[in-house]
Amino acid sequence: MTISEPQKRISEKALTVWKISASLYSLVVWALAGGLIAITILFDFPDWIIFAAIAVAAVYSYLFIILLPTLRWKRWRYEVREQEIELQYGVFIIKRTLIPMIRVQHVDTQQGPLLRKYQLSTVTVSTAATIHEIPALDMEEAENLRISISRLARVADEDV
Amino acid sequence: MSDPKRLHPIAAVVNALRQLKEMIIPFLIFVVFGSRGTDWDLFYFFGSIGVVLLVLVYGVLAWYRFTYRIEQGELRIEYGLIVRKKRYIPFDRIQSLDLSEGILQRLFGLVKVKVETAGSGGMGLQDGEAVLTAITKQDAQEIHDYLVSIKKSGQSVQGDEETESSDDLLYKISVSELLMLATTSGGVGVVISAVLAFVFQFEEFIPYEQIFDGVEHFVQNGFVFISVVVFLGFLLAWIIALFGTMLKYANFTVRKVDNDLVITRGLLEKRQFTIPLSRIQAVRISENLIRQPLGYASAYVESAGGSALDQESSKVLILPIVKKRKIPGLLKPHLSEYHFRVNISPAPGRAYSRYLLKGWLFTLPIIIAAIWLLRPWGYGALLLLVLSALWSYLNYKDAGWSLDQGMLTFRYRNIVKNTVYMRKNKVQSFSVKESFFQRKKKLATVEAIVKSGHGGAGGKVIDLEKEHVDMMYHWYSHETAE
Repeated sequence: MTISEPQKRISEKALTVWKISASLYSLVVWALAGGLIAITILFDFPDWIIFAAIAVAAVYSYLFIILLPTLRWKRWRYEVREQEIELQYGVFIIKRTLIPMIRVQHVDTQQGPLLRKYQLSTVTVSTAATIHEIPALDMEEAENLRISISRLARVADEDV
Repeated sequence: MSDPKRLHPIAAVVNALRQLKEMIIPFLIFVVFGSRGTDWDLFYFFGSIGVVLLVLVYGVLAWYRFTYRIEQGELRIEYGLIVRKKRYIPFDRIQSLDLSEGILQRLFGLVKVKVETAGSGGMGLQDGEAVLTAITKQDAQEIHDYLVSIKKSGQSVQGDEETESSDDLLYKISVSELLMLATTSGGVGVVISAVLAFVFQFEEFIPYEQIFDGVEHFVQNGFVFISVVVFLGFLLAWIIALFGTMLKYANFTVRKVDNDLVITRGLLEKRQFTIPLSRIQAVRISENLIRQPLGYASAYVESAGGSALDQESSKVLILPIVKKRKIPGLLKPHLSEYHFRVNISPAPGRAYSRYLLKGWLFTLPIIIAAIWLLRPWGYGALLLLVLSALWSYLNYKDAGWSLDQGMLTFRYRNIVKNTVYMRKNKVQSFSVKESFFQRKKKLATVEAIVKSGHGGAGGKVIDLEKEHVDMMYHWYSHETAE
């Protein structure tokens, strides 16, 4: 018995957002590498330190700007059905989660400046015991999700 | 009983003592270190007396301001010295009354009543609860009766006159079980390490070497003497822990009153918990390393609600220690939704190598470090490989699952072997995890989370047959079920 994976992908713009924010973070790594190179030249440390610093920064940038976001985006799937929400994500470990609608307590959406620029929001789904996050949905989609969940949550039974 | 009542005056003392206990460390610093070698001794002396007096006066005033009354189906509490506060709790929102008697309360025949509601925290630490520190037993009984009458009237609207209240004894700890509980509890280890930590704390102040040098003249072999002292120390620590546990769990009784489980325990400080059956989210049976070979186990229930800080009200011990085979017989009649005799399917044989490797991955750094640092003897650390393999074998053997009649059962071991029974409709979310290597072996990890207190609890079983995991996933999915 195999189960087909959830059908919907998250917004393609999410990949762009992830790449931009990862690039911003990698600037810090490059700054550190630059500092190290400057020190090496000033104090006449061995040359290999320069190459090592550049190599580390380059590998870091490649991993975190190009490879990992792409893999992560490819893996991310979700599906909101009548009675449950299904999520699938993870790069090395694939995780699939089922959240029954009647267990959902509330849905939050939030967006930082980057997400807002690309018309995306992060959606968090909370049950009584757990919190689940869908990292970037089109705003319209997020809005629909919130509405449909609040409609379904109204029929949720009392028994926690 | 609609006129406002005050707590018994002893509540003022209890509150003042609690305040003083909280202040004890800053106070000691103030007195001991502050006054050392200055001309201000008198100032510090009167200062400390003043602080104590202030606390006492504050306690009395706070007691004077605190009133409670039952009015219009609500428990109404008014309190606060500078900021006056009122808290009105409707009785039909009250989840449980927890009664306890500390030593001070017992001297005067009083009880402490903690009123818990389902209110979620967030607005304040003690949100969703109220505490009456010391009231007479009659008053507590009156509140209890009132609560029962309100709950009854709510029920009788729905149907027939089944107002006869039932009261079944579910379990009462026997003397031999109490002894067994005390001797096999982890509390012993805690006390021993506390004693050791305490002894080593004072190493700098107590001239152990001088003491022992002097003693050596009397005792021919100092080593024997020290061993005896250490042994006696451990024995003493063990006995203290033994008595601590016995006092805490003496008279442990579980009764089923209507739709609540009522648990009472304790000799010096009596406690009583009430858990509505509807609040139970899962049942957990735990067997620790000492109890398991003897065939003993403990049972807990995960309960929703309760106050956020009080762990004890979310993971409630209902059977402290009992022969494992007796558990189904004890619990089944009262927790009728759960059935405890289930066929647990184990993890497949090919999963063992993964358990083994994971164990070795953790021990390997230790072994390498040991060999590196302590050359000739370090090789002894290789024994850890064998121990780790045995441990992995235990973990592997205990991993298992079962599905039947709307119920999911997980069995797994952290250090303690756990069996968790969950109803499908109480599971909040269900996840399946697969790593690259697991996929190659067609294995997967499952995790189910239920509500416990204000957070989650549940179970996770590693490396089960992928096919079985898919089956559980299907079973949990609300789409395919219908």
